[in-house]
Amino acid sequence: MILQIFINGILKGGLYALMAIGMSLIWGVMDIINIAHGSFIMLGAFTTYWLFTLFGIDPFLSLLASMTVLFILGYAVQRYLINFVIRASAFITLILAFGIEIFINNLALVMWTADVRKVKVPYGAANFSIGNYITIPTIRLIAFILVIIISIAFFYILNKTNLGRSIRATSQDLDAARLVGVDVARTYSVTFGLGVGAAGAAGTLWAILFPISPMMGGVLTLKSFVVVIIGGLGSMLGPLIGGLTLGVTEALGSNWFGSTYENLISFTILVLVLIIRPKGILGGTD
Amino acid sequence: MRGVIKTVLVGLAVLGLVFTYGSFAKAENPKVIKLGCAISFTGGKSRSGKLYRDAYDMAVERINKSGGVKVGKDTYIFKIIYYDDKSDPTESSRLVEKLITQDKVNFLLGPYSSGITIPDSLVAMRYKIPMIEGGGASGKIFSRGNKYIFGTLPPAGQYFKSTLEMLKTFKPVPKTIAILYADDKFDVSVAKGTQKLAKDMGFKVVLFEKYAEGATDFNSVLTKIKSKKVEVVLVAGHTEESLNFTQQAKELNVCPKMISMTVGPSEADFRKSLGKDAEYIYGVASWSTQMNFKGYLFKDTQEFVKLFKAKYNYDPDYHNASGIADVAIFKDAIERAGTLDPEKVRDAIAATSLDTIYGHVEFNPNGQIKGTSVVLQILGGQVYQVYPNGVKKPVYPVPCWKDRK
Repeated sequence: MILQIFINGILKGGLYALMAIGMSLIWGVMDIINIAHGSFIMLGAFTTYWLFTLFGIDPFLSLLASMTVLFILGYAVQRYLINFVIRASAFITLILAFGIEIFINNLALVMWTADVRKVKVPYGAANFSIGNYITIPTIRLIAFILVIIISIAFFYILNKTNLGRSIRATSQDLDAARLVGVDVARTYSVTFGLGVGAAGAAGTLWAILFPISPMMGGVLTLKSFVVVIIGGLGSMLGPLIGGLTLGVTEALGSNWFGSTYENLISFTILVLVLIIRPKGILGGTD
Repeated sequence: MRGVIKTVLVGLAVLGLVFTYGSFAKAENPKVIKLGCAISFTGGKSRSGKLYRDAYDMAVERINKSGGVKVGKDTYIFKIIYYDDKSDPTESSRLVEKLITQDKVNFLLGPYSSGITIPDSLVAMRYKIPMIEGGGASGKIFSRGNKYIFGTLPPAGQYFKSTLEMLKTFKPVPKTIAILYADDKFDVSVAKGTQKLAKDMGFKVVLFEKYAEGATDFNSVLTKIKSKKVEVVLVAGHTEESLNFTQQAKELNVCPKMISMTVGPSEADFRKSLGKDAEYIYGVASWSTQMNFKGYLFKDTQEFVKLFKAKYNYDPDYHNASGIADVAIFKDAIERAGTLDPEKVRDAIAATSLDTIYGHVEFNPNGQIKGTSVVLQILGGQVYQVYPNGVKKPVYPVPCWKDRK
């Protein structure tokens, strides 16, 4: 049974990690705590839902679509909105992100009503068993594998491409980056786009696994936030470690103490990490 | 000095106008009884909130079209003033206060969910304005000696009583029960009541677990259910949680002999969202569309169901029926009282004995309706009342996920 719970935790942790990758990237590079992150995840989920419901496009195929749509949206939001206050204090960008969140949520509420919807795929709750005691939900496993692939892709973009070098340079030293000719404004927009695109991917996978509704974003923002803090900023491995830690601890914790305490457990970890390793498990020590 | 006098005169004239206008407005025909309602348009409770709004609106429209409310020699029509409480109890009680003090409503209709009804009912008590609510069943609403609150959902603790009685009729009688419940006031009342009933009836409650309202992940709890080989699972929660629970039970291939849920199975959305996986899920309700009662506003339950479906394009469930009853009770009580005086109407409500499409309504001294619940089951994509006096026989034990076609 313990093994089953462990597996449940890891599979859930993968999803947490994907949710947090985008937030971590935006936070690390631009110093913006994107409160609207959960709302972007919601938009990704609804993109998948509508593509599936209206055109019958398989949710796993729509992964690319929702990433693209959300990338463009993120790029535009940064370019034409956040860009104007990017030099202001972190507090101002926080408020702006908060405003964006309220706007997106309520717009979604008006357009799609508060109904809970579900992507009904024929392979819905497929699973397979190993031995007598362990059941693995196939979709969650596939989602987990996708999370790993997307993380690796991000890792590759950040470390091996010119774009990634510009992003990292900008995050390390803004002035130096300018001096060597990095187009900072564009880098910011692309970074924000990538972060929001990752949120779109998380939304797609979320829509396959859980029912969705316009107000679902708030909790997801919180979870992403916790994962980012636990994992630490500044590396693509951070969210992965943070997500898995959170997933497994929540699964074990709610087994031992009861399901009510799931949130208590995640926030206790958050507090502990802030006390013991303020920069996160993988964060530097400076 | 002259300027001052002039200002005062003009002021008086304006005041005079306002008063005359006011008295003209009062003479307007037909006269209006204002019902105030702070309910969830947005936020987590908005889905169920809409069910009540639809019901209230339909009942009011029906009354106003068919002769209104007779108070003594005068005829009044109902008008509902709504505010959106954003699913927030604090906001809701503030709005109820606003309805009473600023909008000067005559009476109050309730919000949705026990957690919001409790603070709202206390405001009603403070201003001595009667409130009839169809959306809160927790004992905590009615245990405060509040004379001004009346509820048309049966006591939460008794919700699963009919289900447990039904279990006793099965052969062999299941022994082990798991009770899962959300940590809000209503569901806690349901769970605690059920736990006690189950123990008294000789069942073994092997798992009694609370989860956070709005929880999305039930993997741990399902794993426990599987490893303890629980026979009957009773869930007291909300639609989204019911959806998640069912889907994840299938994902992890957990198949107890029966799963029953307080909220979800009776709603059309639940069945639409889950499709085939909703099959065989049990539910409880204080009312179902298969009942047939003589009505007050409608000829009978079946006529109501037909008209409701034509108007809103979904099947009504017990939320809607309860909401219809709330408005019907107001009309009946006001007419019997023959006045709009809140105290006298309150006493008339307390003495209600009325046949509605929701069933026969009488209130306990604490303000809660005397009533029971029925057991439902989803069979062939439809909800059927299976106990007591079921339209169909309950399917038990339900086939495991893997054995279904």
